[in-house]
Amino acid sequence: MNVIGTETEELNYDDIQGIVLQERPTPYVGTYILLSIDHQQDGKVMLKRLLDEVTSAGQWSNPHEGAWVNVGFTYQGLQKLGIPQESLNSFDLEFREGMAARAAKLGDVNESSPEHWEDPLGTDKVDVALALFAPTKEALLQAEEAARRIHCELNGVSVVYQLDVGMNPDGRTHLGFMDGISNPRIEGNHVLNAVGQEAEIKAGEFLFGHLNESGTITQGPQPAELGHNGSYLSFRKLHMRVAAFRRYLREHADNREEEELLAAKMVGRWPSGAPLSLAPEADDPALGEDVSRRNAFTYGDDHKGLKCPVSSHIRRAFPRNSLQGSVVNVNIHRLLRRSTMYGPILPKGVMEDDGQDRGLIFAGICSSLSRQFEFIKTDWLNGGNFAGMSTEKDPITGKNEGEGMFTIPDKPIRHRMKEIPSFSITKGGEYFFVPSMTALRWMAELDQHISKEELTC
Amino acid sequence: MLEGQDQTNPITSAGRAGLREGEISELTIIAPLKDGGADRLREKLKKSASRQAETMAKIATVHDMRFVIFDNDTRLLFATAYDGDWDSYIDDFGTEIPELLNNMFNEVKDFPGIESSEAKDFIANHQITASGWYSAYPDATVRDIWRGQRITKAWNDLLDASQS
Repeated sequence: MNVIGTETEELNYDDIQGIVLQERPTPYVGTYILLSIDHQQDGKVMLKRLLDEVTSAGQWSNPHEGAWVNVGFTYQGLQKLGIPQESLNSFDLEFREGMAARAAKLGDVNESSPEHWEDPLGTDKVDVALALFAPTKEALLQAEEAARRIHCELNGVSVVYQLDVGMNPDGRTHLGFMDGISNPRIEGNHVLNAVGQEAEIKAGEFLFGHLNESGTITQGPQPAELGHNGSYLSFRKLHMRVAAFRRYLREHADNREEEELLAAKMVGRWPSGAPLSLAPEADDPALGEDVSRRNAFTYGDDHKGLKCPVSSHIRRAFPRNSLQGSVVNVNIHRLLRRSTMYGPILPKGVMEDDGQDRGLIFAGICSSLSRQFEFIKTDWLNGGNFAGMSTEKDPITGKNEGEGMFTIPDKPIRHRMKEIPSFSITKGGEYFFVPSMTALRWMAELDQHISKEELTC
Repeated sequence: MLEGQDQTNPITSAGRAGLREGEISELTIIAPLKDGGADRLREKLKKSASRQAETMAKIATVHDMRFVIFDNDTRLLFATAYDGDWDSYIDDFGTEIPELLNNMFNEVKDFPGIESSEAKDFIANHQITASGWYSAYPDATVRDIWRGQRITKAWNDLLDASQS
């Protein structure tokens, strides 16, 4: 075991990709581009060109072209780029298998199973992901131009998928809630830290080669040039059944106020973002907007979930101090969430599905897919036993399939919602490796036989 | 009747090794003991019995576990039925209750320590999947059973109070 001291290390912002350490300023627009590598040589040229375009955390405030470009690779992408087998073997099993192979464990079954995923997600065509974000549409077009430069005139690299993402006009998710409020604070990340009562989490939970919450150095892929300052990213396209959600609320509440309360109980926050733990009776928009207060709470005074149900979405995804006295160390099951919306909003009051694809692109960053992303998905969202809730699942993202149950603690006795449908359907997903700038250079320099002419076009 | 008791669950894999039926999985490990390890392990198990119950209550997913020393004190058979997937929690065991688990398994040859990143592989490599297995209550977790017991007691207390 590799134990070092407890001194805080300053992170190397110029080496770490921006998407890991930085929050997007709002408002923003973005697009995800997936690339397939058909010829290794062209893939390697692309790697060299990427070096000029990828935005590090250090460049975040003044990015190239005014937009943020980040890159990730699937396992087979790394294979196709000729990364040595010894290095490939040093990646975690979950990453090597890929998200589609993990479907049964993740609850991506039936309607959400990989055989129904949107092509090419979950297939061997997805090798590289480019995540492009910008404050304006104009800057995003510039970034897309940069993305084209990365693969232009390379017949062996092709775009296989593109999805535009961004904020909804009201700044909320398709279900109508403020999102992205709670993220862990990373020790040593002084560029930007989420405000809240959450203790700082050791950088090794999100970056390879750093001290983690178990007191060891997180072993990343080898050699160190490849692994150090890199992360895993779990990318999921989740279609949201907005009309079904609205209908469920309508059918199970007597009036609008009750509908809003039921939805808030399911989420754990009010539409404004105000947490039930601080505003148990009614929405408090001033609290929802107050970044210094809206995330500053624990469940210490609400053990039974009378304010915020134990089974609510936010309490499952991050139980804070709920699990004290159990064997679970909540700090080793955290994720950095960089999720964003896609698709048109369903106009207010519409109760029938209009056939449009809308939802969110979940992007979760961690250093262990099994201990962080897969654990949260399997044990906390798709299970209930951790909280004494038997097989009850997350009411918002759980695999409920019309048989879901949701318990709302109350006095004298609890309410129990039944026959909850699945509101979130997995349309596809991939595990990506998000390398450091050093690793990108290392990957690009594995093969030196690239001429200067090939690098520009 | 417990929920789901009338349903039959298919027996599936509990992950890398072992069987799972409903919410419950089985795990059997057979591993060689260190020289003199058998006696030390017997002593440790006796000494830690009270503390062990406390720790297992904290884990709250283990239905039972047995340590069987056999083959002239050279090998250990460890068998347990537990809820969910054990490898989900192996990292928590490593950070939250390392002493107890190490105390129990340090007499096994080459055990790397529960905090080690190799612990998962070590256990999986010594695990043998059962050829046959029966569970009387495949849908009831330890927490479900404890809750059921509390409710039965409360219900009987209520009946007792109302008849007196």
